[in-house]
Amino acid sequence: MTGTDMASSREIEQVAAAWLARRDAGGWSARDQQQLDAWLDEAVAHQVAFLRLDAAWRQSGRLQALGAGMVPGVVPARGSWAHASHGEDETPARTRDRAEPERGSRAGSHRWLRLFAAAATLALVVSLALGWRHYTAVDQASYRTAIGGLQEVPLADGSTVTLSSDSRMLVTLSHGERHIDLQRGEAFFAVAKDHARPFVVSTGSRRVIAVGTRFAVRRDAADLRVVVTQGLVRLESDNRSDGERQPTTLLPAGSIATASDAGVVVRSGPVQQAEEYLSWRSGFVSFHDTPLATAAAEFNRYNTRKIVIGDASVGAMRVGGNFRWSNTDAFVRLLAQGFPIRTQQQGDIIVLRHR
Amino acid sequence: MPSHKVFPAAIGAIVASVDDSLNNWFAREILVHEGALMRYLLRSWFHRDEIHDLRQEIYVRVYEAAAKARPAQPKSFMFTTARHLMTDRLRRSRVVSIDAVGDLDALNVLIDELSPEHRMSARQELRHLASAFDRLPDRCREVVWLRRVEELSQKQVAARMGISEKTVEKQIAKGSRLIAEYFYGGTPMHRARRDRIMEANDGNGHGQQQGD
Repeated sequence: MTGTDMASSREIEQVAAAWLARRDAGGWSARDQQQLDAWLDEAVAHQVAFLRLDAAWRQSGRLQALGAGMVPGVVPARGSWAHASHGEDETPARTRDRAEPERGSRAGSHRWLRLFAAAATLALVVSLALGWRHYTAVDQASYRTAIGGLQEVPLADGSTVTLSSDSRMLVTLSHGERHIDLQRGEAFFAVAKDHARPFVVSTGSRRVIAVGTRFAVRRDAADLRVVVTQGLVRLESDNRSDGERQPTTLLPAGSIATASDAGVVVRSGPVQQAEEYLSWRSGFVSFHDTPLATAAAEFNRYNTRKIVIGDASVGAMRVGGNFRWSNTDAFVRLLAQGFPIRTQQQGDIIVLRHR
Repeated sequence: MPSHKVFPAAIGAIVASVDDSLNNWFAREILVHEGALMRYLLRSWFHRDEIHDLRQEIYVRVYEAAAKARPAQPKSFMFTTARHLMTDRLRRSRVVSIDAVGDLDALNVLIDELSPEHRMSARQELRHLASAFDRLPDRCREVVWLRRVEELSQKQVAARMGISEKTVEKQIAKGSRLIAEYFYGGTPMHRARRDRIMEANDGNGHGQQQGD
């Protein structure tokens, strides 16, 4: 019933799998990507077959959660973990989490059961200590800061998050992954090393992935900025709606990456320079030859009283220096002294105009 | 008019930014139901060797439709698409053998498959993944473990196992296909689901009572 001139679905699947394996092999060039894209563009059947295998292949990365504590280089025997699931599926997760440690000794050789249980118990204990809400199999907690607020959040895995002003995040710690959904604003992450559980910060269609490193992620509407001060992180974007694959970018320490609809721009420099983008953590904002419009927007992130640029010529003036972000008045006063600017207070806004 | 040429590209960019990637949606809302879809196809379609093709065509139709507008009920939409497709195929075929296909009206979906999905917890998913992994043939299983869990490169895997890089690549290709098959497809999700399906099959027609 399918046209005889068309490749069968099994053949298509074979080709899709071959592409996936080749891409996985390393040395993947832009030309390779073009060829893959061309093949995908030939038919929706190709896209669907590839996306299905790709999704499953990504899932298989979660097997890392099972590799935690294993001797490297030794592939565990089949069924090493099968016991853990036996007959437990209908037990509500909450009671299971509490019940398993006691059953551990009875389970005896059921090593994986103990592993699951230990991890679950640890997460439970820590989450209770922090007053987190406990969901079925994962720990999930939501944090938000008001404008001008700054919050240091210790996570159960030993990582620390510094949540900047006017920001919001959802933290989900599961066996396979440490997941932060940065819903708004900016946060700095000092990530504890845990190879079994990648640390993933997602912002809409993009993901920043690390194992043990220090970096900041900031979200501005559709744009994303990633600043890396230690280690290496990976920036991934979802495929576009038309199926076009977005490139993955590796960011070493010192990188300042900006991702927008137009693509990803990476600036690499000394780590100290990258650190300046993170001075907000100690209450400062730093500018170097920065347009005043940008500097004002930066101040406005931290304050309910907003600086408004009244003239384009004012917005284009360049400013530099370190300023305490909580002190808008001092910044505005300095501007009025050092630049041909006149300031005007109108309720909660301060308008800057050319003098 | 150059502006005419610019316009569609601009639209594309806007759609892309608003869009929570179609591929992600497809994996999250459609592929997760592959097991249920396969059971349905196996029950409804006599020609087993055509089921792989059927599945692909269903996915293509769902994907194309979702590119225009995401269905509100992805799972029922997929089953409806499956039913339409089978009906179409029957109509198009020159010789309709009653024996071959049975009664089209009987292509109704068991209540189990249309009831709200019990989303697997992260832990259930992991177990399901582990059992899919365990079904891989020995060599394939070892390659996948070294590559995905220990994160060795294909080259390092080849050196470790004393096989060629080409063989590793082939095993990766095979592994991706089989994991997709086992993880999304055939294997029952877990005992609870399997039991419900068995009951639904035994009850034959009284399945309606069993939704929970």
